[in-house]
Amino acid sequence: MIKATMMGLVLAMAAVATAQAEPVTVKVWALDEPTRITETFAREFEARNPDVKIDVKLVNFANIVNDAVRAAATGTAPDITMIDNPEVALFASHNILLDLTPLLAQSKVIDRNDFYPGPIANSTWQGRIVAIPRGANTIALYYNADLFKEVGLNPDQPPRTWAELYDAARKLTDPAKHRYGLVFSAIASEEGTFQFLPWVQTAGADFDTLGSDGALRALQFWQKLVDDKVASPDVLVYRQNDATGQFAAGNAAMSISGPWELPTLQKDAHFTWRVALLPGETATSPRASALGEFANAIFKTSAHPAEAFRFLEYIYSQAARNWNEFGMLPANRSAAPQDPKWPDAYAVFVEQMKYARGRGPHPLWPQISKAIQTAIQSTLTHQSDARTALATAQASIDKILKK
Amino acid sequence: MISQLLKTLRDGDGFEAALVLAAIGYLLVFAAFPLVYNIVMSFQEVDMFSLASFDRPFRGLDNYRDLIQRPEAWEILRNTIIFVSCSVVFQLGLGFALALFFQLDFPGAGAIRGLFLAGWVMPGLVVGAIWKWIFAGDFGVLNYALHSAGLIDKNIFWLSDPAYALAAVTIANIWLGIPFNMILLSVGLAGIPEDIYEAAELDGANRWQRFMSITVPLMGSTLGAVISLGIIFTLQQFDLVAALTQGGPANASNIAQYWSWQMSFQTYEISAGSVVATLMIAVVVVVAAIYVRSVQHEHSA
Repeated sequence: MIKATMMGLVLAMAAVATAQAEPVTVKVWALDEPTRITETFAREFEARNPDVKIDVKLVNFANIVNDAVRAAATGTAPDITMIDNPEVALFASHNILLDLTPLLAQSKVIDRNDFYPGPIANSTWQGRIVAIPRGANTIALYYNADLFKEVGLNPDQPPRTWAELYDAARKLTDPAKHRYGLVFSAIASEEGTFQFLPWVQTAGADFDTLGSDGALRALQFWQKLVDDKVASPDVLVYRQNDATGQFAAGNAAMSISGPWELPTLQKDAHFTWRVALLPGETATSPRASALGEFANAIFKTSAHPAEAFRFLEYIYSQAARNWNEFGMLPANRSAAPQDPKWPDAYAVFVEQMKYARGRGPHPLWPQISKAIQTAIQSTLTHQSDARTALATAQASIDKILKK
Repeated sequence: MISQLLKTLRDGDGFEAALVLAAIGYLLVFAAFPLVYNIVMSFQEVDMFSLASFDRPFRGLDNYRDLIQRPEAWEILRNTIIFVSCSVVFQLGLGFALALFFQLDFPGAGAIRGLFLAGWVMPGLVVGAIWKWIFAGDFGVLNYALHSAGLIDKNIFWLSDPAYALAAVTIANIWLGIPFNMILLSVGLAGIPEDIYEAAELDGANRWQRFMSITVPLMGSTLGAVISLGIIFTLQQFDLVAALTQGGPANASNIAQYWSWQMSFQTYEISAGSVVATLMIAVVVVVAAIYVRSVQHEHSA
């Protein structure tokens, strides 16, 4: 907070000093989001920095990578673009992003050691920081406390291990009431990979060791949830918000998803819901969770890197507003909101954030992810057994890693 | 000199030439260029960063060989053949039946036929979202109906069971294509003079004989055109797959056009995506040739 105030002062002084100069224009590509986060920050920044104009162009989620890469290839890149964290490596590996490390070393606003390990790792390429995480997201276990009581489970002791999760899910499943114990997303898209990797990671494996026993146990656990009908076979086609919809409608007693669902739940769920940390494989297993959210990067071709970086500093300085205003966590520890909405859920997600690990990083991440999705789907549908499916995935991933 | 040029442009041969040139120019820029560009990319090593230049490593047939060797290639080929043939057969069969039905000219036939077009004017993504509710495993309308009718005692997971996913997408696509088939075939039927039927009836031909010896032969060229268009439309059906299954589970409902998009825009294997697109163009060219022949036949007949 103190830092943010100081930042304001510094910016105000800078503004006075440069008020006479002709403003430079910084072009920013941002996601088209209902919260209007980037436009909000741009307007506030311009008010404090009359020497800079921020020109925001909105791009939709499905196109932003394609558009930004094409722009870079044809020399029409903006100054700043937003990149989904697993895809930063794709841009960085082609050497088109500005190395922010020297700017960070001099920055009085951004403290690179303040970031959670996950977000900064995915914004780093070969030891160089090439993007600034604008925030962070992760997933945890939502549960229906009313149903816990109804079936004799203690809502103050949510499941902490896979075994406890399975038992709870089993008790909560009630076919007569068309209710499953648990819902999650195993869809054949990046969302499926996002949901699956934490299970692999708590079992001691990762995307590059899918042939190991840990990964096998994780996939077999998912398979058991579906085979024993404590989770619907339709998890294969549920996106994360479909899964939350099932939970909110009372068709599933527990759900795995992120803080972006909180407003929906508050509106749609007519029961007491709570949030708990994602269960680990055993009580002593390492904790893990997924890491989501975008980072802002500056293209090497930018004519105004200093001004662009100042805008990124401003966004960073406002991270304490992420939770209440923009539905995500800050990516740095010190930016805690003073009076967070849903304080219990906030506490859990902040704790969970410490264990959030990025996907990759690897420039060919989408291909790696695709191999993982195929392994999940062919196993859960018994087109292949878990061991064979993972071995196939590992073989494809090895080929990609060798490129 | 200039005024003479303007004059030919306004009233003479120049005007026709200009029209032809405009059409050819349009075709070259918006049809031929992307087509050729796509074929070129299928022989090169392309990633997103080299999209803007032609100067890329030449890989010859390696891209094609890589593609065929992928484990999912044959499954997707098989899926595509099933998807296209079932879609076209049922769209045509049901569309023809409906066209004949509305030919009977009962009160309200026109209005009801108009209602059938509702499905056709809706965007594929919307149709997909509605069918997703219908097919939902636990709470879907279709499972409820089948239950109530006593046809099943366990829910069918239409979208997440590999045994049913392709069927689900195909059924939705058949529904989407029926109105279009019906309208084109209705137009064809309306073109058959009524007196031929009357003459046949006087000669003692029954309904079935009249259908087989008058309707079918006289509809021949229309049928050819409808089938060709059906194949082409089915080969470009994309939204439904995206909305329903995204090709899953594990490629069980993946078809060539969706696969091509996945490789080009999701995993950025642009060469491989171009190979699939090129192979599909080859199929479409053959089908289009049949279509053109049918239409010419129609005009001469």
